[in-house]
Amino acid sequence: MIEILQWTTLVACAAATLSRIPNLVRKKNRSLFYIFALMTVATLLSIKAPYLAIDGMLGNTNVANLLLRFIIFGAIYFLGMRIAKGFGDVHGLQFIRGRAGTVVLGLISLALLILFALMDSEGSSVGMMDVYAKDERNRLLVEYYGAAGRAYPAYVCLAILPAMLRAAGSTLPAMLRISALLLAVGGIAITLSLLFPVIPPALGYLTFIINYTAILCFVFGLMLIWLAKAMARRKVPEHIRKPAGT
Amino acid sequence: MPLPAKAFQRWLHGIAPDTSMADVCRLSQVKRTTLAQQLVRGKVAEATVVSISRAFNVSPVTSLAYFEVYRDLAGPLVPPTRQELVSQIATVDLLRAVIARTAPEEGGGGAEESTARPAESWELSPVPHATSVKNWVDAIDDGELRHRVSAATGIAPQNYSAQLTANRLAPEVAIATSRAAGVGLAGGLVATGLITEAEAGWAAGARRAALDGLSDGELTALAGDRLQTLGKALRRQEHDQEQTEKIWENLG
Repeated sequence: MIEILQWTTLVACAAATLSRIPNLVRKKNRSLFYIFALMTVATLLSIKAPYLAIDGMLGNTNVANLLLRFIIFGAIYFLGMRIAKGFGDVHGLQFIRGRAGTVVLGLISLALLILFALMDSEGSSVGMMDVYAKDERNRLLVEYYGAAGRAYPAYVCLAILPAMLRAAGSTLPAMLRISALLLAVGGIAITLSLLFPVIPPALGYLTFIINYTAILCFVFGLMLIWLAKAMARRKVPEHIRKPAGT
Repeated sequence: MPLPAKAFQRWLHGIAPDTSMADVCRLSQVKRTTLAQQLVRGKVAEATVVSISRAFNVSPVTSLAYFEVYRDLAGPLVPPTRQELVSQIATVDLLRAVIARTAPEEGGGGAEESTARPAESWELSPVPHATSVKNWVDAIDDGELRHRVSAATGIAPQNYSAQLTANRLAPEVAIATSRAAGVGLAGGLVATGLITEAEAGWAAGARRAALDGLSDGELTALAGDRLQTLGKALRRQEHDQEQTEKIWENLG
């Protein structure tokens, strides 16, 4: 079940990336291509087989996991900024790009690097499960490391969440409202991921569902915007003003 | 609530006993596929009954009254109130009237249809206009109307408002609205464009007479209100359009 969800997400991300190639060539909103490409790599790195293969090449010390965290940070930073700009969310943009955003990103990145350096990261395993299982000290370090890795995405998502909810309830075209709703759901899912440490092990599958729901919501939300644009461009622009005073 | 197919068949047999379904469709300009679909689903749209009635020279109101839900339409047609009539005049026509009354050449002659400038003998544009449904409900609303309609029909107030904003109203809700406001039952059907003024028993020229009956103050205030609402709607449209463009520019 979880495998299916993982591969579906990967395929969706890859498809979104490929669909952006024409626009990449035309130099239109190229950052979206990079966002999707980063999301694809991030999904790839969170699946067992590809993770082990890539981390093997990097020396079996779970550096791939650290890489994954920074890829996610990069993707979420650009994504958050694009979305905030698109939806005219000045406050959200301020939170992401302004001083607060830079400080948050810097501190979290630093924490991530220090925690990674402190732990005995030898031995590739997805989600650093084997490191987690080594001893009490490593268990704690991995716990904090994971929390730091989820903190920044949650920060960005919280920054844009109000604007998404507002847009979903606005009078914008239906497809854009659905997109905004999907983005909001994705944002809520990522914020919920902060609660992972308190989720009992028996409900561990919830973490997977929350993670992949978030990515899928973002990908589909963005693709819907793209689709709405393509559809609107095909139609004749209709500016029928109400008083047809003829 | 659309009409049950069985009752529809009985009604159709009553007004056109020897006509084939194909001929009924041809005469009434109802698409055959549309009617077939409605019959299969067991729900025939009110508009279908109205079109067929017109084709067979039967009063649409009488036809609708044949059906259980619209039984109340059978009674004598109550004439519309002045507010209802005025609500069915398009905003541009109100503005035209304002201009015509204040034009210096005329000086308020009061003669209808003939204005000082020869080319400008103007007719009121036909019902329904772009905001006719909302204007109609506003015209008969005593402040509590929406609550009463909501209670009587079970429609959530926000859904009701959404319908009005979209200039739509389901026929049975339109009738429930008339009933709750204590006005003639067919008024809402005119405002939604299901039936014509004449079919609802509105006298020819009644709207014009109601317009001429407005004092300058009433007319100007009314036109002002309409313009303000229109301005708000247009501004929102423009804002949405800008926002949409921005989203596409950044995320498309």
